Amino acid sequence: MERIAMEPQPVDDTCLVQETLAGNQASFQILVERYQSRLFSLTRHYTRNQYEIEDVVQETFLKAYSRLATFQHQSSFYTWIYRIAVNTVLDFLKRRGRSPVTTVEDPELIQTNVSLPPSRVMSPDARLQREEIQQITAKILEGMPEIFRTVLVMREFEDMAYQDIADTLGISIGTVESRLFRARARFKDKLLQLHPEYGEG
Amino acid sequence: MTEDTADGRDGMRGHAMECQDARASIQAYLDGELNEERAGPLRKHLLDCQPCRGSAQSEKNLKRWFAKAKTPAANLVPRDFSARVARRAFAGDRGENFSEPRMVLVGASEMTMTSTSKPDERNLRFILSLTAAAAVFLVVLSVGIGRLSLPSSSSLLASPKMSIEEAHKQLDVLNQKPTLPVKKAAESKR
Repeated sequence: MERIAMEPQPVDDTCLVQETLAGNQASFQILVERYQSRLFSLTRHYTRNQYEIEDVVQETFLKAYSRLATFQHQSSFYTWIYRIAVNTVLDFLKRRGRSPVTTVEDPELIQTNVSLPPSRVMSPDARLQREEIQQITAKILEGMPEIFRTVLVMREFEDMAYQDIADTLGISIGTVESRLFRARARFKDKLLQLHPEYGEG
Repeated sequence: MTEDTADGRDGMRGHAMECQDARASIQAYLDGELNEERAGPLRKHLLDCQPCRGSAQSEKNLKRWFAKAKTPAANLVPRDFSARVARRAFAGDRGENFSEPRMVLVGASEMTMTSTSKPDERNLRFILSLTAAAAVFLVVLSVGIGRLSLPSSSSLLASPKMSIEEAHKQLDVLNQKPTLPVKKAAESKR
């Protein structure tokens, strides 16, 4: 008796994109499966509402599908869709009345001097529960201007290289470094303000 | 150059400038973004400068914090999510509105599962023309924007980058070494 192998083969993104454009729904589904976790992870840093996360990620993939023919393969598919995701998240926040802080609104961003008072953080105590660290981190990130939250999330939680962050956001590597520097300084300051016990004496 | 005080002040000023450069590079170093050409002088400075080593250790502690804050998102994704999205996409949903996915799903499930619709080609022409216009605008904009004082991508990428693990490992080694007195370090550089 013949068995038809139905297990999906590991196909690269370029092939999946081409197959999708040729009308293959299953190929697009594979693309979605491949990146859905990472986009859920990204979106989770902007809203903790499960339905909203799902809305945003779904919206991202639908937009990606409608624009798929414009994907030029100059960057990785992940970088390309990640960029759509970031823009979709920011649009979503605007529609929900939670406008992201832009360069115009945040006067601190006008400064290019990166010298900030040093604040030192201790290594997280082994006794600190992971859940507690996650809750504190989520709270601090929620209060950060989006322009800083985005680079911090991309670097620290998505492990993206500076070049990928720059490509995704359409900014220079120098700007990525500058924003990361300020984002980390803000995070540290807020962490130590809320929990001075985590600071070095 | 002959007075000790002038030499000492020059030495301290030179060291202070290095600290500023070092602290501007520490994060890139720990992110595995520095090539050896820039990582080498930074490591040398950290060997000599305990305050900067302290700063580097603090940055590393912050990265440990973020590492602990990471949570896997796989359990957030509904089991049927990819199938649902693919169905909607091929049914012609362009994702222009944030509608309730479950309400739309009821309607979408009635639609053919074998739909093979292609992306709208009229949209493609419009998007391509927008992309071309955006590209021209970006080129013009980039010509007018001044360089930041931070290192350029070309200097960072001139040679292969050190991995994050290697950078962190080397920082740990440096933190175990005794610090040379600043004055002696400044004198040794003459």
